Amino acid sequence: MKITSDLSKQLLRGVNRREFLAGTSAAAFAASTPFIAARPALAAGPVEIVHWSWLAASDGEVWAKMIDAFNDAHKDKGVKIRMELVPEEQYITKVLAAAATGKAPDFGWGTAGKGAGMARDEVTVPLDDLAKKADLDLSDFSDASLKASRYPKYDNKLFMIPMDLMSLQPEINLDIAKEAGLDPTNPPQDGRMLLDWAMAMTKREGGKVTRSGIMMTGAGVQTTVTWGIIAAQMGFRRASDDLKTACVNPEAGKQAMQWVLDLFDKHKVSTRDVTDRYKAFGTGQGGIFWTGPWTLNGYIGQKLNFQTSLFPKVGSTLRTYSEMGGLELYAQADKGRLDATMQAVKWLSDNSFLWTTVGRGASPRKSILGRPDYKTAGAPWAVRGAFVDGMAFATEGEIPVVAGPDFTIYSGGNFLAKTLDGVWAGQTTIDQAMEQIQQQWQRGLDEG
Amino acid sequence: MSSATLPAKMPPRWGHRIDDDRRVDFVGYLFVAFFSVPFFLFNILPVFFGIYVGFTRWSIIGSPRWVGLDNFTQAFNDRWVWVGFENVLLYGLLIVPSVTVLGLVFALFVNRGYPLSGLARALFFAPNVVSATVIGLVWVWLLDTQYGLVNHYFSFFGVGAIPWLTSTQWSLVGVSIASVWWDLGLAFVLFLAALQDIPSDLTEAALVDGAGPWARLRFIILPHLRPVLSMVVTLQLISTLRIFSQVYVMTNGGPGVSSQSPIYYVYQVAIVRNLFGYASAIAMLLFIGILMLTLLQRFILSERA
Repeated sequence: MKITSDLSKQLLRGVNRREFLAGTSAAAFAASTPFIAARPALAAGPVEIVHWSWLAASDGEVWAKMIDAFNDAHKDKGVKIRMELVPEEQYITKVLAAAATGKAPDFGWGTAGKGAGMARDEVTVPLDDLAKKADLDLSDFSDASLKASRYPKYDNKLFMIPMDLMSLQPEINLDIAKEAGLDPTNPPQDGRMLLDWAMAMTKREGGKVTRSGIMMTGAGVQTTVTWGIIAAQMGFRRASDDLKTACVNPEAGKQAMQWVLDLFDKHKVSTRDVTDRYKAFGTGQGGIFWTGPWTLNGYIGQKLNFQTSLFPKVGSTLRTYSEMGGLELYAQADKGRLDATMQAVKWLSDNSFLWTTVGRGASPRKSILGRPDYKTAGAPWAVRGAFVDGMAFATEGEIPVVAGPDFTIYSGGNFLAKTLDGVWAGQTTIDQAMEQIQQQWQRGLDEG
Repeated sequence: MSSATLPAKMPPRWGHRIDDDRRVDFVGYLFVAFFSVPFFLFNILPVFFGIYVGFTRWSIIGSPRWVGLDNFTQAFNDRWVWVGFENVLLYGLLIVPSVTVLGLVFALFVNRGYPLSGLARALFFAPNVVSATVIGLVWVWLLDTQYGLVNHYFSFFGVGAIPWLTSTQWSLVGVSIASVWWDLGLAFVLFLAALQDIPSDLTEAALVDGAGPWARLRFIILPHLRPVLSMVVTLQLISTLRIFSQVYVMTNGGPGVSSQSPIYYVYQVAIVRNLFGYASAIAMLLFIGILMLTLLQRFILSERA
């Protein structure tokens, strides 16, 4: 570049190579550490509350609208939320790392029961007092959602503000039901009826299942969560109520393993060959698919002809999988930020109508559930209703201990899923699997 | 050119004189620092810290708590650590010979200078410049049981759908196929370079003596390729023992633990379960394993060479 400016010429005149290198090194160092220059500028702007979220796809889209709505409502009030997306599988590690360096986000998205380790390490902040100070009406939340937000092993304090409640319920492909001569107004309510429906909806070619009556995969999350639900219905408990004994009634757990195996090998209403279960159900390769409300927007968007129903009672007690999403606050050096963050969380909770009608799950807020337009807003009630009504028996949530991730039944890669996969593949016997699960879970409970 | 006598010792042009004979060349140190400081901070220091963490219980928050050899004892008793080592040996048996043999065959083909061999050279090497993650994602599609192209073409020959990535019997093979495709390029290039270094008079002399292609390969080409062969096998062995990205993208180590590699298990223990001490201990065991296998393999090949 030709230097034309006198100032530039002046600056460069007489600069020897050593000085030039020293100057460029200093500039490179400054450029690589932008926070040095950026800090005063940030301090001069509005208060920025940093929010980490792992919600993606249509979930993420609606949640981003919620954050935008907060920022719009607080445009002239000197506060705004900056949302950053963090991959779900790395979320906890990244929060821990950020907290260890004193730069934790102000608040983030969590799943109830999975954060016992962070509560133990005092990374998540107890919220009872903060909520009271911010006038967040905790009495408006369902008892179950508040119970799920507490960790009995850590003083039973509130560590999360519930935002949505989700359960697994069957989605039924109505075109396949019609083809099989089934009455969708009377969906399966027990195990026998479920199998009858599955038989009628299954298609086979030469003994090979080409369309599953019950959508299943050969391994991973779908088989694990199915086992978890059916085992609970048959009387198996992953942990005793006092969180001291693992695998209560292991025989029921074994029966549930056999029930899942029979879908593949005895009744032949499911095939292990399905890899992408969401895609397979969306393209008509399955009659019944139990999944969560996060699938609704996608299937509605692709105009799939389906409805949802309540999970059938296969065992002696009606139960299904439950998951609660919520917001947790992380420890800050500047305690004043916690109050501001709780104010933001309160606003998001008070205004979560959109999130719990269009986003996902049922609302944990009584006032929102009681609104006259709650059933008419968002997705049609025929596909959304079961996810709200079914919360009444959605009891199979997380086990609130440090080793909680080992216990979750909604996972395709944790200890449980990997152990059960051996059973579905015929590599491990049912007895061996139950013994391994019992040993590992007991160690997990003992850990605290 | 002038034949003027140069001084016996040229002083550095941008140095700082510290006595009559020695100068410290700060500019040189500066250039070295750009590499060595980050290398020390992000490579050397973490290695020693990792060794220390291996003897502690630590989940990032708070100080590591010294537990002595507990993590190592636990690792020796952890069934899934051994499954990971078994799997990685099977990966090695599938990947290392395949990459070595195919790399050599392709290099021999291109070295003959057939028409389109320039294009073939680019095509054979191309997968190696793509990231392992992309390769994994592409092969997830290609190997899908229901709609994958591989099963589609197999069906022309009456072969039923093979669950490459979703069955415990095939998952190792599925991941290995993608790995071979990815790794082949480097082996191919190394062999090609070595083939082009073989003196042409040797092969010409062999031709005059009436040696056929097999004799030329056995008595001239392969003996000349031994050093490169040793290098390719060593590099491939180390790369296979460290296999991670393909496993992570294609199978998550499953179904069950059928395709789980030790590094993937280290990732799971550290990042998913936040047991950094235990993960470091497993990583150290893996390091010792790789070192021993590499030394053994180099000893065997160098003995033969």
